[in-house]
Amino acid sequence: MNPALKTNNRHSHRTWRKFLSPILLILTWEITTRAGLVESWFLPGPFLVFKTLYGMTISGEVPYHTAISMGRAAAGYLAAAVLGIGLGLLIAWSILIEDFFDPLIELIRPLSSFALVPILFLWFGVGDTSKIILIFKSCFFPILLNTIAGIKGVDKKLIMAAKSLGANEGQLWIRVLIPSALPMIITGLRISTAMAMMSLVGVEMLSSDSGLGFLVIDAQRTFDTQRVFAGIIVLSVVGFTVDRVSRIIQSKALYWHTQTSLGGQ
Amino acid sequence: MSFITARHIGKTFNGKNNSDPTVAIGDLTLDIEEKEFIAIIGPSGCGKSTFLLMVAGLESATSGELAIEGKPVTGPDHQRAIVFQEFLLFPWKTVKGNIEFGPRINRVDKGICQTLSRDLIRLVGLEGFEECFPHELSGGMKQRVAIARALANKPKVLLMDEPFGALDALTRETMQLELQKIWQKAQCTVLFVTHSITEAIFLADRVVVMGSRPGFVKKILTIDLERPRSRKIHTSHTFRRYEQILKESIWEEEEDGSWERVPALEKRSA
Ligand SMILES: Nc1ncnc2c1ncn2[C@@H]1O[C@H](COP(=O)(O)OP(=O)(O)O)[C@@H](O)[C@H]1O
Ligand SMILES: [Mg+2]
Repeated sequence: MNPALKTNNRHSHRTWRKFLSPILLILTWEITTRAGLVESWFLPGPFLVFKTLYGMTISGEVPYHTAISMGRAAAGYLAAAVLGIGLGLLIAWSILIEDFFDPLIELIRPLSSFALVPILFLWFGVGDTSKIILIFKSCFFPILLNTIAGIKGVDKKLIMAAKSLGANEGQLWIRVLIPSALPMIITGLRISTAMAMMSLVGVEMLSSDSGLGFLVIDAQRTFDTQRVFAGIIVLSVVGFTVDRVSRIIQSKALYWHTQTSLGGQ
Repeated sequence: MSFITARHIGKTFNGKNNSDPTVAIGDLTLDIEEKEFIAIIGPSGCGKSTFLLMVAGLESATSGELAIEGKPVTGPDHQRAIVFQEFLLFPWKTVKGNIEFGPRINRVDKGICQTLSRDLIRLVGLEGFEECFPHELSGGMKQRVAIARALANKPKVLLMDEPFGALDALTRETMQLELQKIWQKAQCTVLFVTHSITEAIFLADRVVVMGSRPGFVKKILTIDLERPRSRKIHTSHTFRRYEQILKESIWEEEEDGSWERVPALEKRSA
């Protein structure tokens, strides 16, 4: 039977079931450490970790580093969104522009963002600029490629229908092509939020004196395992929140979007 | 001078990647009068869709002349609306938004747009579904929206490419009756492509039978049945007679048409 056909009651059971594995993990973790199976500098128990985390939050440390990290991520991400969508639309519009940019895209895209770190640090120093550019590089290509694929994938007959209704070139883009491509563009934007978080933490660990990546690596350098775990928990919560928020934005923007997107069968 | 005149129309598609060009239509000549309902039937690949797209101005003929009211067709025009089998509604717009799309982009006053869409929604029987999105509608309802959207520009020509081909048999019969009613109200010329002989006879003033490889007009049959036509007409003697004539005309191709299958075989072995 199709799971979607089950009743609402069953559905709420499913929600609760999803708390089971995290709770079990934390319990096992706590019991292991309490039983003295591992030393606490190696693996502190969850109770201690959450206590440390609470202290770091009250002192303003966690909010401070979170704000700095999110600022960097947002700057790189927004630049990638604007330029990625912009260039994507231009490339989908003109084959000349596509042929001009395509080789560059194919050369730079597969390159790991971190391969750029040495050059970025040489050119821009170890400050925010390098970090933002690195995040930009990670986010730009998924957005760009999804925009291009979204526009190019619009049903030719839908375009014909719009033209026969009197749409000129501009109206076709604004009222048909871009709305049709929106599900793909938004998917690219959502993939990129995860990319932004990943490269952010990496580059902050490499060289930084602030941000969540710094917080974790700095604690490791002083062998403060409780702070390491506290930092990782913050990163996980931030990542989860960003993903949830972007999912909500996606479903709000695409309220009309289902599998039967063109009104066909 | 007829309303639509197609004179020795030919259409050749250039093959992609150096493959052979396809001659879709060889030599097609057809005159259509204003407010006439023309049904076009013929085997798959004989150029029915291509011809419709040419009348819509979405494809150009490679030879011959195509004119409407004496003016050559050069591009798409909101006076010529097209309805496809696949509905192709705008999924992000409501029923109302879809129907108002044409008048809106043609800068018709907002109030007039609303009156227009209200009337059309009533005409196609979609009252109560104004604010629904396409994915909430059944196939028959989607096609009603597509027809209303096409009529919203008050077109002189309505082009329909197998519009009921994706619908189940019962819905299809209902839609045929509705379309007859809609056409009588909307007062436009209709070119209606179908694979169903009975659908063609039921709806049309004249049925055009096309032959293939490359496409041409093989036969034109005038349907002399009183309007409005009801379901009962299917069992009338005259209706049966027309059905017989059209079937024979289509079979004829298959029988003397061993030549028709040869190119297909050649292609496969190549
Ligand atoms: N855009 C196109 N490019 C190349 N060949 C095409 C194109 N459109 C149609 N054809 C070819 O032209 C012929 C007629 O097609 P079509 O008009 O779709 O036929 P029908 O609607 O009668 O089934 C077919 O052989 C088809 O393969
Ligand atoms: Mg066809």
